[in-house]
Amino acid sequence: MPLREQTDVKEIEAILNTILNINSPPVARCRLLSSGFNPGHALNIAEDIGGHKECIACGSCVDACPFLFREPSRREKTEQRTSMALEIIVGADCDQCDACVLACPQVDTTIKNYVVNRRMIEVMSRLEQRMGDEDEPDLDLFVEEAVA
Amino acid sequence: MDFEIPEELKMVQSMVRDFVTDQLKPLERSILGRAADLSDSTMYLPLEKEQELMEMVKGLGLWGTSVPEELGGAGLDTLGNCLVEEELAQTIVPFNFGDVSPLLFDCNEEQKGKYFSAVFNRQRYAYLALMEPEREASEIERMELRAEKKDGHCVLDGKKVSLSRAGEDYFAVVFAVTQPEKGPREGVTCFLVDKGTPGFLVSGGAEKMGWEAQVREPILLVFDQCQVPTGNILGQEGNAFHLGKKWLPMRRLVRGARCVGAAQRMLDEATIQAQSWQSFGQFISGRPSVQAALADIATSIHAARLMVYEAATKADRGDPVRREAAMVKLFATQMIHSVADNAAHIFNAPAYVGGLPMEMFCRNAMAMSATNFALQLQRNIIARDILKGLKI
Repeated sequence: MPLREQTDVKEIEAILNTILNINSPPVARCRLLSSGFNPGHALNIAEDIGGHKECIACGSCVDACPFLFREPSRREKTEQRTSMALEIIVGADCDQCDACVLACPQVDTTIKNYVVNRRMIEVMSRLEQRMGDEDEPDLDLFVEEAVA
Repeated sequence: MDFEIPEELKMVQSMVRDFVTDQLKPLERSILGRAADLSDSTMYLPLEKEQELMEMVKGLGLWGTSVPEELGGAGLDTLGNCLVEEELAQTIVPFNFGDVSPLLFDCNEEQKGKYFSAVFNRQRYAYLALMEPEREASEIERMELRAEKKDGHCVLDGKKVSLSRAGEDYFAVVFAVTQPEKGPREGVTCFLVDKGTPGFLVSGGAEKMGWEAQVREPILLVFDQCQVPTGNILGQEGNAFHLGKKWLPMRRLVRGARCVGAAQRMLDEATIQAQSWQSFGQFISGRPSVQAALADIATSIHAARLMVYEAATKADRGDPVRREAAMVKLFATQMIHSVADNAAHIFNAPAYVGGLPMEMFCRNAMAMSATNFALQLQRNIIARDILKGLKI
């Protein structure tokens, strides 16, 4: 729900690439680089929240994180569903898949377009490496054996 | 492309079908309970009856269909096992044709008689102790039960939970961390711990009485400085997760066949219901929504069956089937859910009325997702192949 007038990515490309290369969920930093909340989506309240860049705690980034899919126990470490909580519970184990950036409603569409068009191909090959070796034992088979 | 089941497997399928129809289905009422309040329902058949059925199956030459011939089983191939399991899944009576966990196929010569053969002949029960209390099943990588070598023994310390069937004479197949620094794939060892070993305590596993008799408590296994001889290590030290490597992936296909069989029975029951139940002076089989539900069920069963058979045929040819098995698990688990849902609609709700076979099948359908949770992992396996450039 960012403002209609959004930052031109060319102006922030360098810092954006630096952020996306850090081994940590980039959603919060991308949000801060964005243009902020569009008042057209706000409820009828007295306070003017147009342009505010806070996390709205919708939890979309937490739900989109593939690392938390693989290790759901991390998710239980906190009740919070904010980008800060995501950074704390995932930290340096981040897959750098940028799914959290794409899921966040506060991140500018221009930044999302940049991530999809320029970064995704790199992400795919890196994720493939992380998927593991085919000869590795499939632990899930043992769980099925124990439960069935 | 040949979609025909080989003649000899058709004969096996027909024999198992007759056995299920003539011997097992009439026992469904004993399992579900005959009393008005179903207080006499049970989880398992009486031991004498199981023994009698076992002798009959042995007479047919089908005992141990999933057990290799060199270990004394019938040694059917994957497609044969899928066909057998599909038929057996069409009844709620919990009886199998000498099914033994493939983990025990790796017993050495000394262990074979004491452990594998005893389980195979239903003289002992194996408690598969993999999961730990207060931990999700998916967290086995973080197992806490430790085993340390001391004076020629291994000392086990910790707790496990087992969902295996409880019995009088038993032993535990325990996964314990022996080398934490090597991680779960190389640092976990499997031990065979006999009943009565000092420091090995078992509780739970009892069937709940009365109305909920079909609910069974999990078994809690406590190891308090339990000394196990090193000769009781199953397979090699640190290689617990490499046990049964040759057979375990095929079990996923067989479980898919189980979903197909259970769904087939639900379709049969739903069809009978649709043809015999009337509303507003008309059989409900005449209603388009009921016909649509029946058609949806039949289509999804057909798709799942073809997937299972194709993957099983591939496995029997010696081709790798990891991706196909993942697809079978993913599809069959979702299929059985939707079939149970559609069947419940045809039953117009009483699918959950206690005492009907349908109720048990709907419960089992839900249980499939407990067995086959972690569908995301299967999606990962399939996606990996696609990303490697494979054309599906």
